[in-house]
Amino acid sequence: MITFDSVTKRYPDGTVAVDALDLEVPPGKTMVLVGPSGCGKTTSLRMINRLIEPSEGKIFLDGRDIQEANPSTLRRGIGYVIQQTGLFPHRTIEDNIATVPLLDGWGKAKARARATELMELVGLDLGMARRYPHQLSGGQQQRVGVARALAADPPVLLMDEPFSAVDPIVRAALQDELIRLQGELHKTIVMVTHDVEEAIKVGDIVAVFRPGGHLAQVDTPEHLLGAPADDYVEGFIGFDRGIRRLSFFSAVGLDLEFDAVLGEDATVDEARAFSQRGGHPWVLVLDAERRPRGWVSAAELAPLPGTGRLGQAPLASVGHTFRPAQDSLRVALDATVLSRTERAVAVDENGHVIGVTSYERLRDAIRAAEEAADDALAQGAAT
Amino acid sequence: MNWPQFWQYTAANALLGILPAVVGLAISVPIGIACVRWRWLYGPVLSATSVVYAIPSLALFVVLIAYTGLSNLTVIIPLTLFSLCVLVPNVVDGLRSVPEPVRQAATAMGFGTLRRLVQVELPLAVPIVIAGLRIAVVSSISLASVSGLIGVASLGYFFIDGLQRNFNEEIYAAIVAVIGLALACDLILVLARRMLTPWSRKPGGRATVNAEGAQLLQEPAI
Repeated sequence: MITFDSVTKRYPDGTVAVDALDLEVPPGKTMVLVGPSGCGKTTSLRMINRLIEPSEGKIFLDGRDIQEANPSTLRRGIGYVIQQTGLFPHRTIEDNIATVPLLDGWGKAKARARATELMELVGLDLGMARRYPHQLSGGQQQRVGVARALAADPPVLLMDEPFSAVDPIVRAALQDELIRLQGELHKTIVMVTHDVEEAIKVGDIVAVFRPGGHLAQVDTPEHLLGAPADDYVEGFIGFDRGIRRLSFFSAVGLDLEFDAVLGEDATVDEARAFSQRGGHPWVLVLDAERRPRGWVSAAELAPLPGTGRLGQAPLASVGHTFRPAQDSLRVALDATVLSRTERAVAVDENGHVIGVTSYERLRDAIRAAEEAADDALAQGAAT
Repeated sequence: MNWPQFWQYTAANALLGILPAVVGLAISVPIGIACVRWRWLYGPVLSATSVVYAIPSLALFVVLIAYTGLSNLTVIIPLTLFSLCVLVPNVVDGLRSVPEPVRQAATAMGFGTLRRLVQVELPLAVPIVIAGLRIAVVSSISLASVSGLIGVASLGYFFIDGLQRNFNEEIYAAIVAVIGLALACDLILVLARRMLTPWSRKPGGRATVNAEGAQLLQEPAI
């Protein structure tokens, strides 16, 4: 648990970077500080390991005032990852990772063994152990940075724009990796970013800063998207928050249709009857294993003999499928939007078709999910 | 030509060139560290070393004879002072070349000031410091020959002797020896830098490492 108690940072020229900040980072959670540049988020982060000293107020780490700790000892218990990696150019990858264990007086052999463990943990090829940082790509260097921060198993991890300098594909992979790691390690993480997408993806709690070092809102990503505190937060989050919020609603509650789904052995006549009954021109054709083969349209069926098998008809691609058990309504909606049939195929974990969406069913599911979330918000506010 | 004397004076010249650079380095490191730590100090220190450097070496030798006689010290002290003019700025530049994120990360990892200096900043300053050392050694070796004028044993003796006796071969041999000494010391320092800094990136240099690095960069990062 990290607690900011009315912390202010004022520079000699009078600039106030952080103004009477009260903030609590619960143990084992990831809190993301997000805001435009100059909002005090990085200053707040660096006050936690005393790279910057507050002008007023106190910061507590697990109830203990960090001012009373020896700075070097305090810092060895707090992992630190920065955008430019800050890796030591003159040390090999394994020695970079072993930095804090070596400072803590572990033997060289033990520290290197620990470095090997961490390379595996963060997904680095062990063949890189003896290389130097400049021989690695940006994404690999950032992994080394994370491994180095975790080497002495500190309970707290500070990350200052850790993934901002890598390209979007690598960034997404590193974010996923961080989420996976945090699922195993349960560190108390404070991360700074200017990227609200990243904050919403990675954070358990997001603290939105306003210029001048004030907090605008501290909330879960879901609540932030559902109920921004004011126009500033809403503007900062961006214009498509309605769609993005759907990421937090499970597709489990989505009603699926199964009336226009036929096996590949069904006849053309059966398909015509289905599509006429359902009033929808597309029929989904399955293979013998109940996996989706493709869509066939009424127009394509028209010239075919009524006794022909659907398997022989020309089929349009199924496109993206989704798995209601694990995917969100956003994924279901996306798959539906992308499908030329205006329907997306839901499958189970084995790839077997369990039903088909439609815009109507999606609309109902979204409305129900939003109402439930709003109710929860209102109840949360009331208590 | 007296070859035993020639080799003896070559060795003496080497000592008079190398020792000032080494002592100069030993003095420049703490001065450089202080100049980085207290920025205001650097200006005055730089002016002082430049002023000293502007004094003709012969003048300093002559002044020192009164205190240290015709010993090697009379040559080593001025050359050491001259080397500071190159070495102090290089130590300062070397320490300042440490990227700020690296310094910050070191602090955040829990290095104390002294440990950070010894384990991170000084090692990273090595390439620039050695670059300065190369200039200091070469110029000291060359300047040391001037001491022949005041009668201290060095290759400079052969310039004067050759001139007086109209013996050009002696002069040429001494010039070749000075250049050879300088090149040898320079080569040793280049090799020392390679050994001390296996980590340093050498664009266009060692092709194998670069090719390997380039290949690594092309690999998917995930």
